[in-house]
Parts: sequence; structure tokens; C-alpha cells
Amino acid sequence: MTQRERNWLLVAPAAGWFLVMLVLPLSVVFIFSFGERGAAGGYVPAFTFEQYANLPARFTAFQNTLILAPLGTLAAMLIAYPLAYQLAVRTDPKWKTILLVLVIVPFWTSILIRSYAWIYILGGRGIPALIEAMGLGDVQLIYTPFAVLIGIVYGYLPLMVFPIYVSLDRLDKRLLEASSDLGAPPLATFFKVTVPLSIPGVATGCMLVFILLMGEFLIPLLLGGGKVFFVGNALVDLFLQSRNWAFGSAVAVMLIVIMLVTVTVYMRLIARLHTSRDDVSVM
Amino acid sequence: MTDKDHMSKRKFMQELRRYQKGSVSRRHFLGVTGLGAAAAALGTAMPGLRPRRAYAAGDIGDRVVLATWPNYHDVENFERFTDETGAFVQVNVFGSNEEMLAKLQAGGSGWDVFVPTNYTITTYVSEDLIEPLDVSRLANYDAGAFDPRFADAGTVDGSLYAVPKNWGTTGFAVNTAHDGGKPFATWKDFWDRTMDDYSGRTMVHDYQLTTIGNALKYFGYSFNSVDPTELADAERLLLDAKPHLFAISSDYQPAMRSGDAWMTMCWTGDGKQLNSDIPEIAYVLGREGGEIWSDYYAIPKGAPHREAAYALIDFMLSPEVNAREVMAHGYPVADSRTNALLPKEMLEDPILYPAQDLLDALEFGAAATLTDPNRAELLARFKSA
Amino acid sequence: MRIYSFCVYLFLYTPIAIIALFSFNAGRHASQLQGFSGKWYGRALDNPFVMDALETSFLVAFASATIASVLGTLAAVGLQGIRGPARALFDAVIYIAVMIPGIVIGIATLIALVTVFDQINPWLAALWPEGGAPPTLSMGVGSLIAAHAMFTMALVIIIVRARLSSLERELGEASADLYATPFGTFRQVTLPLLAPAILAGFLLSFTFSFDDFIIAFFVAGSETTLPIYIFSSIRRGVTPEINAIGTMVMGASLVLLIIAQLILRRGDRR
Repeated sequence: MTQRERNWLLVAPAAGWFLVMLVLPLSVVFIFSFGERGAAGGYVPAFTFEQYANLPARFTAFQNTLILAPLGTLAAMLIAYPLAYQLAVRTDPKWKTILLVLVIVPFWTSILIRSYAWIYILGGRGIPALIEAMGLGDVQLIYTPFAVLIGIVYGYLPLMVFPIYVSLDRLDKRLLEASSDLGAPPLATFFKVTVPLSIPGVATGCMLVFILLMGEFLIPLLLGGGKVFFVGNALVDLFLQSRNWAFGSAVAVMLIVIMLVTVTVYMRLIARLHTSRDDVSVM
Repeated sequence: MTDKDHMSKRKFMQELRRYQKGSVSRRHFLGVTGLGAAAAALGTAMPGLRPRRAYAAGDIGDRVVLATWPNYHDVENFERFTDETGAFVQVNVFGSNEEMLAKLQAGGSGWDVFVPTNYTITTYVSEDLIEPLDVSRLANYDAGAFDPRFADAGTVDGSLYAVPKNWGTTGFAVNTAHDGGKPFATWKDFWDRTMDDYSGRTMVHDYQLTTIGNALKYFGYSFNSVDPTELADAERLLLDAKPHLFAISSDYQPAMRSGDAWMTMCWTGDGKQLNSDIPEIAYVLGREGGEIWSDYYAIPKGAPHREAAYALIDFMLSPEVNAREVMAHGYPVADSRTNALLPKEMLEDPILYPAQDLLDALEFGAAATLTDPNRAELLARFKSA
Repeated sequence: MRIYSFCVYLFLYTPIAIIALFSFNAGRHASQLQGFSGKWYGRALDNPFVMDALETSFLVAFASATIASVLGTLAAVGLQGIRGPARALFDAVIYIAVMIPGIVIGIATLIALVTVFDQINPWLAALWPEGGAPPTLSMGVGSLIAAHAMFTMALVIIIVRARLSSLERELGEASADLYATPFGTFRQVTLPLLAPAILAGFLLSFTFSFDDFIIAFFVAGSETTLPIYIFSSIRRGVTPEINAIGTMVMGASLVLLIIAQLILRRGDRR
């Protein structure tokens, strides 16, 4: 057996797995997206572009997703960065691990249960009651885009803290010392030295969270009260309520295309921003 | 051991040291996420934590899976069933008949018993998703005891597929503490005031039949209409009302109880439950009409625990058990044997048994609405708007 | 800065505290406290559906993570020696696997497998020898393991390959210089050095699978994993039982984590 054959033999099982569990399903979705809905639901073979022509009927779902996913990613990043910085640079090593663990522990309770806790916090007897007691008026928090945003940030914060922490922790502290020894004010050191060096971590964290948010379904369902509709919710409804497999497939294909385009463009940008490093992303 | 081996081992150790020194992040990674995750899994899988139950009679197995609607049972009845038979009841709750149908169509639902509504049963039969019932295994089923109006839909083409569970109406529940002295009586009130003094406080079902149907009633159209122009009117109303809604959900009790929501589309029993606990919440049937319905117990094709399914249905049909159910959930039954056990005030309750003129205006759901693509798509557009 | 961190931790732990608090609720409704009781913990442990869901989750996570780690590692090693269009194609597939939202994977797998099974099952029935009941393919633990293993295999390949590419240059050459056979190099040098990456990949895969709701929701058929059980319970109104389960899972992981840390620290000192 040549080296070449051996390599192929090693790759073959995984390749077969991807073929059956990824390429085949995606092909089926692609084919179904040109089909029609059966009389009682499901799929009937056909060749029509009707489903794609019908896509504007889900415009709002795509719009909500494309607004709230980047916004949620950004919010999570802005909240996670200072914490990751504090943990990586300013914290006594003795406490580092335990504090880091504490960021991740909530992640081990099902997102379902945690979101339910937020329904209580944001519901009429939670924060709004507090706001009303302070005389600031009557507000509705639960079942709004704001509640969904909170849920998103809450759910994915650990995924953001972690890569940023790792990139900051790897950063050579002597660089920071050198910078301040050379008379740079702390803020300048932060923006000129720390931030550029942490870009890989930020980029990884943002991409992880963004990918997950683009397919999000549970948080809008639980905290959006059925009113804040993501593409994920549109998909679930199409398959689990209206049973329109053909149209659902077209929506799925559209989502895949959007993901491919945005993530590829994003990675190109990051790579250009940081050409010297090869660990920009998980890819 | 050859020299070569030795060398490579030493080199290996050197590399390992270097690796360890240089790679804090890896250790943190393992320590924090990795081992943590493993720990989580191990913790939950520790066999010692699990007490074993000794079942006296194992003939029907130790479980039965029931697919049903929210707030629709007396939980203690399930506990009694478990005590009597050793089988635990797993309750899966659904928000619409469409969801039940989709789950069954996709195959392998794993349900033993489900609770379809009258107008859906013919579709389940034509799609071959429902099992004909063997009456000889339902000792407590007495066809003569049931009011045929609420039992007929269970028989399709002469075969019995489903036995009646409860019947009821779909109206709305309104918290009168906020109505400013102006009572509600019609679906017109419901929609108009959703966009006025009840703005931000109203809930509608996540269910095409009732949400679209009750919007159709605003214009005086049939609750079951599939006429495109009539549906277009309903859609316009729904889209106008959407910014004023608190939520779109078929599980409205928590929000009504907490006071977050003031008004919601509502089924009889939920109205009764809310009204008993919070008297300011009234149950209103729209004067224009709306839905009257009947739910049934049925067994899906391929039920994994068929013995237990029959046992559960039979248990629920026994008049004593059924009476306890009614007392707990407040939905009327069509079974005269059960009604004989119920207290007088329950049988005269205006929420359970509305005045005849209100009842006369109601319609049973039509099978066409379940599979009509336009109604399904309309609801989806409404939700995603 | 410290205050900021404190606030973030407060944000992270308020919902957790509420979950834990309500798990001791004596009443049935999750949102109204009615006295203090530990009975829901007993209920949860006594409930065969909870225990079955846990067992299924554990089985699926373990099986899919094992498959993903073994096949993923093999593929990562093999890929090192493959260049050209085949390599580019494989990379593209991995890229797509990681990037496609779980919901799309779930739905796509569901409709593809249901369609394929519908085609195969009549054949199985026709070809099956007389007498025995022919097997029917359907969605279940098998399809769930396969779907999870697909996604996590991509993760393992990425993690292992990152480690390999930094190792291979230095180590492979060193070892080849010492006249080791390729297989010997792999077994004695590469594999031990890859072990941490493989372990990390395994644990990541395990965690992903154990926690996944959305793929399982579509692909698991009639099987119930813990997240699916929790989802269907939440829709009938959260009982303190669900809170008790959440608290137990978290508590157990925390305790084992601390033990693991202690062991790790002792190992470090040695």
C-alpha cells in the first residue's frame, strides 16, 4: 500500500459519513426546494421556482435575524471583552481558573431552563414591577425584541468570553510592561497593544456566536412570545405546523446562502486585518 | 530497548515539557470546558443515584406517552393510574392540531395516546396515521352514554377511531379589572379593544383555526372560511392588531395569572380555571359565533405501548376518574354517567354550559381548514410580520 | 473594573439562583413560591422518563463523540498527505458542516432520512426471508448519533489538524531522521502528542451532543433526550421538578469539576 492509498483509506470513513449525513441531506433540501406542497402537507415532486418566488413572504424573519444576530453578537462581545480582559490580565492567577469556571457553569444548565428563568425576571412581577415601584412608569420587557436580545447575550456570553480570554492570556505581559515603560498612557497601551493582539480571539468568538444566532429558534420562541420571528422559527413552523416541506426547503437554502456569503466575507476581512497570524479562526 | 528508542523517548519528553509550558490555554481549555463537560456527564449518569421501583404487575409496561393540550388533565389522576398499573404517564403538550399532525406525518412520534379534535380525525384516517379502536378492550366505554353531537366525529366510515374526551367552546378570557366599566360581548369588541384600551395586553392562539377563525368572525364570515377574499380581510385585521398583541401563544394561563396579559383567546376549561382562581377574569363567547369543539382519545399507528394506551384510555373513561378530571380542568363532558357524578353548580355553570343563543351561533371546525395551505400560510405571515 | 465583573457575574447567576430557589418550591406552580420542600428532587430521580432521557442523552453523546474522535482523527492525519482538488473539496465540506446552523442540519437530515427510509423499507420487506418480521428503518437513536457525529467530526478534524500542523514539521522530520517507519512515527510520536487535542475534541463533542436540542428535536424520532424532555415539560408549565433536574445537572458537574481540578493540580505538582 502506498502512502497515497493509506491517506485515502484514513480519510474514507469520515468522507463517507459526511457524504451520507451532510451532502445527501443538503442535496435533498436543494431538490425539495423546487417541489410543491402535498395536499395534506409534506412534499410532492415538481420543478418550479414558485417556492423561491414566495420567499418575500418571510422577509421579516430574515430581516429580524439579520438585525438581531449581528446586534446580539456585538452586545455579547462588548460585555464579554472587559470581563475577559479583567480575568486574563488583571486577575491573580490563583483565582483565574475558578473565575473562568464560574463563567461557564451556567452553560451546563439547559438553555431552555435558563430562558424560562428570564421569563420570570422580565415578566410583570420581575424587573418591570421594580421599575414601576421606582415611579418610572409601566414598561413591557417580556416578549419584546429586547427580551430576545437579553436572552441571546445571556445564552452565548461564555462562548464569547472564552476565546477572548485565551487570546489575551496568551499575550506576552512583557509587551504591556514595555509599552508602559516607554511612557505610553494605559489607554494607549490598551488600544495600540492589547486590542490588536486579541483580535483573533474576538474574531473566533464573534463567529461562533454569529453562526449560532443565525439558526436560533428557542430564545425567540421563549422570550419573544411568538412575535419576534427568526428564520429558525419560520423553518420550524414550516415543517412542524404548515407542513410545507418545499417552501421550508427554499427558506433553508436561502439561509445557507446567506450564511456562506456573510461568513466567507467576514473571514476574508479578518484575515486581511490580521494577515500575520494563522490562528485567526477555528477553521 | 535500543538506543534509538531511548533517544526518541527523551526527545518526546522534552517536547512534552515545552508543550506544557507553552500551552496554558490548552490546559485551561481541558480543565475548564473539557473535564467540566465530562464531569457533567458523569455526574448525571451515576447509576447509584437512581432508585429502582419494584412494579407489582408489569403486564402493561412501565410507561405510556400521552400527547395532549395544556391544562387539560387532573395530574393526580395520572398519579393514581401509576399507582394502579405501575405505568408512568409522560405528558407531551401541543399548541395546535397542525403540530400534532406534522409530528405524526414525520413518523416515529413515540406516542401511545393522543387527543385529536373532532375536525382532524378524517385526515388522520385518510393519511393512515390512526389505529381503529378495539372496543372490547375499553370496558368503560359505553357508546350509549355519550351525546352523539360530541361523539360522532370519532367514527369514520363505520369504524370507531376515537372516543370522546371533552367538548367545549373557544371564546376569550378578559380581566374585567381593566375594562373601565365597558363590558365585552363580541369578537368585534375583542379586536377593536385590542387595538385600543387593551393594547399590549392581548394574547391570541398560535393556532390557525381559532386565530384566523375569530378574526373572520369580526367581519361576520364563517369561522371555517377558506375563501381568499374573506381570508384577506382577516389577514388585514390580524396584521393591524399584531403590534398591539402581548404574545402569540396557546399557553396563556401564566401570563393571565401574573397580570401581564389582560385578555386572551381562551378555551372553556382555561376560562373556568382562571375564573375560579381570579374572579375578575371573565369568560366571554363572541355573540357573532366562533368554535364549538369536541376532543377525543385516540391511538396513533405504531404506538409503542399499545397495552398501556388502552389501559390509560379506559382508566380515563371511567366515570369517577372523568368526573375528577372535569372538576380539575373545567371542560364539560358528553358522558351522562360522568355528569351524574358532578355537582349541580358545575352542571349549571355558565362558562361550561353557555346560554343556548350563544351556543347556536357556534360552528364545529371543518376538516378543510386543517390542510388548507392558504390558512397555514396566512398564520405564518401573521407571525413573521 | 471589579464592579463591572461583579455585575456580569450577577447577570449570569441571577437566573441560576432563581432556578435553584424554585426547585425547592413546595407548590406545583413554578412561578409561585409556596413553602420549602425537597420533594421535587425525589420526584425527578424517581421518574423513569427523566432517567431514560438522561440515559439516552448519555448514550448518544458518548457514541457520537467516540465515532467523531476516532474517524475525525484518522481523517485529520490522512488529510495531511492529501493535496489538490480532493483536499479543497474536503475542506469545503468541513467548512460547510461547521457553518450551517443546527436547525438546517436537523431539518435536512429529517427529510432526507425519512425520504430514503421510505424508499428502502419496502425493499427490505420484499427481500426479507419468509417468516420473520422485516426490520423497518426509522428515525431514532441511530439517526441522532449519526447526525451528531457528523457535526462533531468536523470539529474534531479542525482541532486535531491545528495541532498536527504545528507538530508535524518539527516532530515528523526529527523522527524520520531517526529512521523510524511512518507508522512507528505515528504511534510513538504523533499520537501521544495529539492525545490532548483528541481528548479536547472528544469532550467538546460530548458536551455539544449532550446539550443539543435543535438537531435532536428533528432527528430523534420517538426517542427523548434530556433537552427534549425539558422542552416538552416546559410547554406544560414548568414544575419545580424541571428546576430540580437543572440544579442537579449543574451541581453534579460543579462537584466533579472541582474534583478534576484537584487531581489536575496534584498532577501538576508532581
